[in-house]
This record gives sequence, C-alpha cells and structure tokens, in this order.
Amino acid sequence: MADVSVPSLILFIASIVVAAGVAGVLIDTVTGISGALDDRGADVAENIRTDIEVISDAEGNVYDAGADTITLYVKNTGRRTIPATNESFDVIVDAEYRTNVSVAVVDGGSEWTPHGVVEVRVGNVALDAGDHRVRLTVSGDDETFRFNTE
Amino acid sequence: MGFGVSGSTAVVFLGVLIASGTLYTAAAGSAERVSEARNVEGEELLDRRNTVIEVTEVVYNNSTDTLDVAVTNNGTTTLSVADTSLLVDNEYVRPNATVVDGDGDTDVWASDQRLVITVDTGVVPDRVKVVAENGVAASNTTIEEVG
Repeated sequence: MADVSVPSLILFIASIVVAAGVAGVLIDTVTGISGALDDRGADVAENIRTDIEVISDAEGNVYDAGADTITLYVKNTGRRTIPATNESFDVIVDAEYRTNVSVAVVDGGSEWTPHGVVEVRVGNVALDAGDHRVRLTVSGDDETFRFNTE
Repeated sequence: MGFGVSGSTAVVFLGVLIASGTLYTAAAGSAERVSEARNVEGEELLDRRNTVIEVTEVVYNNSTDTLDVAVTNNGTTTLSVADTSLLVDNEYVRPNATVVDGDGDTDVWASDQRLVITVDTGVVPDRVKVVAENGVAASNTTIEEVG
C-alpha cells in the first residue's frame, strides 16, 4: 500500500507545483501588461487634454533679424497645466530641430495654466528672405506656424 | 493521479481568474479615462464652434495715451474676461482695465455683451488681435484716434 501511495503523492505534489508555476508566470505577465495598458491610457488621456494654439500673427515682428530670434505667443487652449520650460516644447524651424528655446509665462501667472499665454523665443535662427515654417510639438499636439520674412 | 490532475487544473484556473481580473480592471480604467478625455474634447469643440467674437471698435486716445478695444461676443458661448488675450502690433499686452457692459469687476462675458479692454500703449498701433479663451481670434486694423 505504501509502495503505491508514495509515488502518487510525489506525482501529486509535482503536478501542483508545476501548475502553480504556470499560474504564477501567467499572473506576472498579465500584471505587467495591465501596468503598461494603464500607463498608456493615462498618456493618451493626457495627450487628448493637451491643446495649444499659436496666437501670433504671421506678419509683423515675429522674426527679429538683428537678434536672429523668432518670438511666438502660444496659448494653452487645453485642460492641462503644462510646465513652462523649453523641455515641454519640441521646436522645428524649416525642418531643423532647435535647442536654443526659452519659454516665459507672460500673462502674469507663475505656471502655464489652461487659457494662459507663454512667449516662446527661438534663438540663433538666421533666416533668409522667403517663406518659413515653425513646428511646435507639446505632448503630441502639433502646431504649424508659417510666416514670411523680407 | 486523479487528484493531481484536478488539483493542478484548479490552480491554473485560479491563476487565469486572477489574471483576467487584473487585465479587465486595467483595460476598463484606461478606456474610461480616454473616453472621458474625448468627451471633454468634444464639448470644448462644440464651445469653440459656438464662439464668434468681433472687434467692433478700436479707439486710441491721444490725450491719455490709452487704447480702448471694444469686442462683441456674437456667439452663444459665455467666455471668461480674464482668459481673453490681447495682442497689439503682435505683442502680448496685459490689460489695465476690462469692462463688460458697464461692469468693471465681472469675469463673465456672455452672448451679445460688449467687452472693452483698456491698455496703455504709448503709440498708435497698426493692428490689434483679440483671442478668446478657446483660441478663437478676431482682429482689426482700423484704429480711430481721438483727443
């Protein structure tokens, strides 16, 4: 009797251990996927709530040829407070990525809250006469601004 | 052997149950957040489409060096006075005073109401542009001079 029950017990324990291992790996993997899904949902929701608008006119003093700078006013038309730093902005002028970007809140607040306005200044930009294009990207929201220099 | 099979099946099923629960919670929460954001975006779009503003009159007073910009809300969206931006000659300026139909303290700029924004510019500008809170803009290049 004991000869039969000992191998059976060993097989029983082994099968339970293998099943527990499989279940553990499954739970671990699905937990990882759930975490990623959650983060992705939060990111997408944040991108949807982000909206900006360039309110400067295409004519006038957008480009300062003496100082080689482009100055744009950008309004936060979304529902999210965006950090008013140059790290929030990806600025591309005439298909060239620009790093010399400074951002300042001009409406009297300390943060770029919804409906607030910031001044984006792009330095070291030497532009020839003609048409130019500035592309601003903030949290997945793209704004293209076209202007002409003389 | 029979107990081993049923026991391990039960353990695997338990694992599948826990995993499905976790996945469903995450997926439902994520979908809800995204759909809520889309709803808000849709409402904002509706507000934006219902917004019409018009710069009716721009008067520069030579004796006080101030500029009065009169803007009428011709749409159906009630706007905020504090969130309205003014650009004079493409430069952002902060208003000195705002008056909506005679009330200088209110932040509510309702339909058919006239908002007058007063700023000190020092010079006669060529162009003014008013931008409502949701990005709808109106401009005027006809500047009257008085005084």
